[in-house]
Amino acid sequence: MTTPLQRYTHYFVGFTLFNVLIQVTRLVKEGTGKTTLAIGDGANDVGMIQEADIGVGISGVEGMQAVMASDFSISQFRFLERLLVVHGHWCYKRIAQMVIIKRLSRFSLSSICYFFYKNIAFGLTLFYFEAFTAFSGQSVYNDWYMLLFNVILTSLPVISLGVFEQDVSAEVCLQFPALYQQGPKNLFFDWYRILGWMGNGLYTSLVIFILNIMIFYNQAFRAEGQTADMAAMGATMFSCIISAVNCQIALTMSHFTWIQHLFVWGSVTTWYLFLLLYGMLPPYYSEDAHKILVEALGPAPIYWCTILLVTVACNLPYLAHISFQRCFNPMDHHIIQEIKYYKKDVEDQHMWRRERSKARQETKIGFTARVDAKIRQLKGKLQRKSSTLVLPNCMPSPC
Amino acid sequence: MSSHTASSSNGGNGSGDSGVPKRNSKRPKYSKFTQQELPACKPILTPRWVVSAFLLVAIVFIPIGIACLIGSRDVVEVVERYETKCIPVLNRTDKVQFIQSAADKTCRISMTIPKRMKQPIYVYYQLDNFYQNHRRYVKSRSDEQLKSASKENDTSACKPEDIANGRGAIVPCGLIAWSLFNDTYSFSRQNQSLTVNKMGIAWKSDKQKRFGKNVFPKNFQGGGLVGGATLNESIPLSEQEDLMVWMRTAALPTFRKLYGKIEVDLEEKEVINVTLMNYYNTYSFNGKKKLVLSTTSWIGGRNDFLGIAYLTVGMICFALSMGFTIVYFVKPRLAFYGDLATLPSYHGTEVLDRTKNVHGILLMFKAHPSLPIGTEALHHFGTSLLIVTLMSMECLKHDIDSGRILMV
Repeated sequence: MTTPLQRYTHYFVGFTLFNVLIQVTRLVKEGTGKTTLAIGDGANDVGMIQEADIGVGISGVEGMQAVMASDFSISQFRFLERLLVVHGHWCYKRIAQMVIIKRLSRFSLSSICYFFYKNIAFGLTLFYFEAFTAFSGQSVYNDWYMLLFNVILTSLPVISLGVFEQDVSAEVCLQFPALYQQGPKNLFFDWYRILGWMGNGLYTSLVIFILNIMIFYNQAFRAEGQTADMAAMGATMFSCIISAVNCQIALTMSHFTWIQHLFVWGSVTTWYLFLLLYGMLPPYYSEDAHKILVEALGPAPIYWCTILLVTVACNLPYLAHISFQRCFNPMDHHIIQEIKYYKKDVEDQHMWRRERSKARQETKIGFTARVDAKIRQLKGKLQRKSSTLVLPNCMPSPC
Repeated sequence: MSSHTASSSNGGNGSGDSGVPKRNSKRPKYSKFTQQELPACKPILTPRWVVSAFLLVAIVFIPIGIACLIGSRDVVEVVERYETKCIPVLNRTDKVQFIQSAADKTCRISMTIPKRMKQPIYVYYQLDNFYQNHRRYVKSRSDEQLKSASKENDTSACKPEDIANGRGAIVPCGLIAWSLFNDTYSFSRQNQSLTVNKMGIAWKSDKQKRFGKNVFPKNFQGGGLVGGATLNESIPLSEQEDLMVWMRTAALPTFRKLYGKIEVDLEEKEVINVTLMNYYNTYSFNGKKKLVLSTTSWIGGRNDFLGIAYLTVGMICFALSMGFTIVYFVKPRLAFYGDLATLPSYHGTEVLDRTKNVHGILLMFKAHPSLPIGTEALHHFGTSLLIVTLMSMECLKHDIDSGRILMV
């Protein structure tokens, strides 16, 4: 198996002519249909860097022009491997866990993950409530809650997931370049995952809505005999959503620094802080939410019991699913995480070193994989032949 | 330019490598944050954690469920539906006409207490099929006007109940106030009347902050059509607790609102006679009216759902924890906890079927060219049998030794 590094080095050319670099890059891009990466350090490489899908500039002896024109810049060529294998892998995982609309050349595939999950969970509760308001368009939540939902209360954890998530550490990524395969193989962008997350959002919205309606039905919700009005039920339902959705993201994260802790638990705390401060505003601004936490909901045990129940009920299927998956169908990075966790790499150095060296050998693949590789090679040759007919003044690539 | 020899052990940790001395001046300042090396906790779901988590939830939830159920069962509730009963039989064909006429609307019903009710006993009226949560209804009020007398004419949101014909603004304006409930109840047992305390039924914040002390009702129900109760013009809004309770719009079309409190105990099997005035018109929209007497417990009124839901989730978690224990014990991943040989990426595009663990061991052994071909099958069978027995005994203790046997 070739490492990605080896595959891309096939297309590096040592010419210095400005035009030639651009044309060759274009030829490779169109001829093979693959994602191209170009790396260069001089002013003559700027065109090539911009032409390629991913441009990497090296800052150095020849100045900063290459760096300014590039998508990524590194200071030495040897860092390319780390860039590809470590950051490329992490980047792929993080984006897969956030949301991205990614249009591939052959088919359109929107990857829906956490962003859509939380918005489905939130939005559907509004729709369900409409059935109880004679479809008049009254929302069960205060306008301010809805405004803050996507701005503050659930956005920061996703950002920390997108920026900081590491399923395996940097050294492991470098030792096991095969993990990089998870990217090109699109292991994380498939319909099963997308529909699963959407289903999870649907389930969460149903649980939140039905439990809240049934618990606050029409009887008193406090020992002093008061019944719940729409403001109380709306605030409770919203608190349930915030807790459930933030616990969900905590379950999907595998790498917790102080930043993740701050953002996830901080989001939940921010909601309560907001409710407190909003309630303190005069009724002109807060209307029915005036003093709602301090006076109505805070002292009511049913409020806290409801939040706990809903949070656990919403996250239970996901927890069961990932436990089941880890047990019966673990993915590569799961096994590596387990090795690290049990410190097997330290205890069993022989095994660890042997597997690392195996990852670098070009053989050790099964029969079908070799056949696949041969087919890919032949297809490539065919495409190159047809593209030489189209582009009259291009040079054959030295593969 | 290309270097295949860029070995990871040297080039990987760019931050720690010294490199060429003259490059030191250009290297950016090292910080754990920018190099993504912040100390981190990386929890993973091992069998111990999974089973413990589910068991913990079950242990916490089942007692809470039982407590909620007991709290709800302690509540005694008597509900009496009366909107049809209280229309004389002759008028039941045209109830709307009856309710709008000037006929005598007094009605007498009786309620039997099923169990001893300790004071305070809360009196509620329940309305069904009344959409207090309709958007146009909810909007139709003016908080400014309720708060201060100077903002009396701030009635823009209250149309059509904003201005009395030619006589000025209606205070309080809007549909919510206009449709104020006006059935009244008086209770007696054995010809001795029971007082209903109508103070302290609204939220304190409503009394103090939202309804002004110097705002008096004016031109109320003066818009042409009478929708509900009339208000005493000499009592300021901050003391009109029925209005405050009514103006807290309910979330669902079936709702109860607090009417008052009875502050004596009621004994079991007592018959309470209620004299009620059936003024409120729910007949135009087929609404129902019910009178409710209820005690409360720490959890509020009577609703078994919370307790049952907690118990259900607790039981499910307990079942899951038992299920996972059985699964981990009976069918362990033999190539488990650190056997990299099971990584599919190293063995071609076929995904190893990890449930068929013998297959996994076979493939792993094939990687060793040292084993003689003839004895392979026997060797596989023997070792796999040994491994099955060992792993099923020791998998939960994550015994490294069994792992080492696989690695030989």
